[in-house]
Amino acid sequence: MFFFILTNNNSNKMFFLFILFFSTLISISSNSWFGCWIGLEINLLSFIPLISNSKNLLSVETSLKYFLTQSLASINFLFMILIKFSLLKNFDMNNIISIMMNSSLLMKMGSAPFHFWFPNIVEGLSWMNNFMLMTWQKISPMILLSYYFNKNFLIFMIIMNLIIGSLGGLNQTSLRKLLAFSSINNLGWMIFSIMISENLWLFYFLIYSMMIFMMISLFFLMNMYFMNQLFINNMNFFIKLNLLINFLSLGGLPPFMGFMPKWIIINFLLINKFYFLTFIFMMTSLIIIYYYIRIIYSSFMFNYFKMKWVNLLMKNNMSLINLSSFISISSMILSTFIFM
Amino acid sequence: MCFNSFFFLFFFMLINYFFFVYFIMNGLSVFFEWEIISFNSMSIVMSILLDWMSLLFMMFVSLISSVVIFYSKSYMNSELNLNRFIILVLMFVFSMVLLIISPNLISILLGWDGLGLISYCLVIYYQNLKSYNAGMLTALSNRIGDVMILMVICWVMNYGSWNYIFYFDFMKNDYVMFIISFMIIIAAMTKSAQIPFSSWLPAAMAAPTPVSALVHSSTLVTAGVYLLIRFNYLLIDMFFFKVLLFLSILTMFMSGISANYEFDLKKIIALSTLSQLGLMMSILSLGFPDIAFFHLLTHAMFKALLFMCAGVIIHMMNDIQDIRYMGGLSLYIPLTSLCLNISNLSLCGIPFLSGFYSKDLILEMVSFNSFNLMVFILFYLSTGLTVFYTFRLIMYVMINDFNLMMIYNLYDEDYIMLNSMFVLLFMSLLSGSFLSWFIFSYPYMIYLPFNLKLMVIYVSILGSILGFMVSNMGIYSLNKLLLSYNLSSFLCLMWFMPNLSTYGLSYIYLNFSQILFKNIDMGWSEIYSGKGIFNILKNYSVFYNIYQMNNFKIYLFSFILWFMILFIFFFI
Repeated sequence: MFFFILTNNNSNKMFFLFILFFSTLISISSNSWFGCWIGLEINLLSFIPLISNSKNLLSVETSLKYFLTQSLASINFLFMILIKFSLLKNFDMNNIISIMMNSSLLMKMGSAPFHFWFPNIVEGLSWMNNFMLMTWQKISPMILLSYYFNKNFLIFMIIMNLIIGSLGGLNQTSLRKLLAFSSINNLGWMIFSIMISENLWLFYFLIYSMMIFMMISLFFLMNMYFMNQLFINNMNFFIKLNLLINFLSLGGLPPFMGFMPKWIIINFLLINKFYFLTFIFMMTSLIIIYYYIRIIYSSFMFNYFKMKWVNLLMKNNMSLINLSSFISISSMILSTFIFM
Repeated sequence: MCFNSFFFLFFFMLINYFFFVYFIMNGLSVFFEWEIISFNSMSIVMSILLDWMSLLFMMFVSLISSVVIFYSKSYMNSELNLNRFIILVLMFVFSMVLLIISPNLISILLGWDGLGLISYCLVIYYQNLKSYNAGMLTALSNRIGDVMILMVICWVMNYGSWNYIFYFDFMKNDYVMFIISFMIIIAAMTKSAQIPFSSWLPAAMAAPTPVSALVHSSTLVTAGVYLLIRFNYLLIDMFFFKVLLFLSILTMFMSGISANYEFDLKKIIALSTLSQLGLMMSILSLGFPDIAFFHLLTHAMFKALLFMCAGVIIHMMNDIQDIRYMGGLSLYIPLTSLCLNISNLSLCGIPFLSGFYSKDLILEMVSFNSFNLMVFILFYLSTGLTVFYTFRLIMYVMINDFNLMMIYNLYDEDYIMLNSMFVLLFMSLLSGSFLSWFIFSYPYMIYLPFNLKLMVIYVSILGSILGFMVSNMGIYSLNKLLLSYNLSSFLCLMWFMPNLSTYGLSYIYLNFSQILFKNIDMGWSEIYSGKGIFNILKNYSVFYNIYQMNNFKIYLFSFILWFMILFIFFFI
């Protein structure tokens, strides 16, 4: 990550990145709700310079949109904190104020039904900024969510997340929007896992961010933003294999790494008899895998579309690609040797 | 390879002959038991029964197979993989020997399945489409018999041992034995090609001629008869024997009629084999197992000889098997036509050749004992039909004018093939009397009125006159088949049984599966699972997109709206 920022010859971004990391730590380790809110505000303030680039009109507009939504959510959050302090002196979680607080945190994350800004903004950012938005920015709202949540409300939100994430992505051709909807879907899984235990959420989140990183770095290296750019350039076999494996892993297909966290969550669901919720998790996963496979299916056919005048040289970065393929394929099985 | 196996089998035949003479003169029978493994209370024992019947049958089988291997050295000399062929024939002989000497259902199963499998390999030997179809028909028909024997093995476990000869005549009235006898009869009917399963025998003529001489004349098809002879004490009072009588005389009759319409040389001989098999089965089911065995052995001799002569003729006719192209061969190939004529006349039952002893004895036993009218009529009618098609064959092949080409080369001096045929010729002349002196220690008592005794000769003369008249063809001959087309096609195509057992069995299922595939796989299940769900989801996604593509202030407003909705909704 630092490598990519350094290549842009911009050390300001490194400064803001450092403040971004630090703000999350402030937010999740504070004693009072007010400290959390401060962390969220610093997060917003330090992310804006990272994504805005005054030479590009689209990027300026994107950062403005981001600022508006996030500040709205922060204002709501602060207000609800104050109402909670002044009106409710109890520790009971399942009440109306927790709904309000959770709603504002969900708006911060980009979760349904407050997700409408998320595909728009993702469309306007570059790949590495997208990576930060999809992974790091979710940490503090989720942990804050786990401190004070309303179970029934959150389950309703989870179902909405799953359905919107799967149905919205069917009609997209832009790779960024596609990953945005998949991120909304995975938010559903992550919210449920944080309701179970924070350890499980950490596990899911780490694996998810690793997979997203592999995919986004692949797209970044090949500078691909849309689906019609996918196979115009001649990727050699290993890059196509890596793409295939990562997408299938993100979808949660068994021998790959991405199956493991989903498996543990499904295990919990079935043991505790959440049958209807299991059904919704499964079916929406299927729809998501459908549109992943729609992206990658021509990569594993023998006869594929090949243009002869484009030649992609990727000699420098093959070790990273090979390593990531190896991790995706084998880590689930290797983990059984280590942990079980 | 050919010479080695020929000598080996020939000496094996001589050994069997001497043992047979010794055993039958002294009334001996030997039972070997070899205990393979004995473990706690279970012991696996392999047993071999040698009595005069099995030694005699082994002698005949090894004689025919040695002669056939010697013959195939010259017949199949243009074959690149002759070793493979000889090995297959030797494995066949081994399976047959295993079947003959076993008093035990498991080794019968080994021999039986081995026969079925190797006959499949031999039928598809030429590897063209017709051979493949024929092989499939043969293998699947035989497979029904294999399944029946497997089920017999299951049921027989009730009695604690698979050596059936020890207990089967003590348990005759048991319900289990009833079922076992039913299955044994079905198994024998599939192997010996009786009426429901008779479509494979003419089709199996796609095999090479030595294979037909060995397999389809004397050994494979008689395995069923041999099994029933072994099980005879069990089956002799049962209801199923009456059913077997009915089906076998119908087989005899049907194949006699169908052979009159056939123009393929090997198919005529196959149908005549089928007719004689029907004769063997019917006399067995009337209660005379030793006469059936006698006819089995003499029939093996002259039928194998007949097939070998047919092979020589086919080679000479440039591999054409259609008898309408042949004619007048008796003038040019005297030695071969000698063998052909003697075997044909022996088949008809001409006095004092080998076929006469067995066939005449059968017909006299049928006339002497009181059986019903249908049995009597069909026996004599089938005998007449035998003479009919034999004489028709002789007229077409030997006597009428030569029909093939203007320039021809009829080569009779292939002494390898001729010597092997002479061995069988010698046996087919003398084996009738020789066997009757050995097997029947006292003759059967037969006392018949004069005309009934001569009935055989009457039907034979009638058949020969009809055979002569049918094969007189001139330029102006009318094709009489078209005048009675329906009846003729029914009789000619073996009463439509090949069609019934191939197309008729599979038609319903294939039709039904086409209906299912069209309506369900490519119909409703597409709407309910594949394409239909995709269309629904696509519509949902398009509908969702209407909400997604909006102004930014609409988003902000929708957040507030959602806040209020959730507030009200969860307030309760």
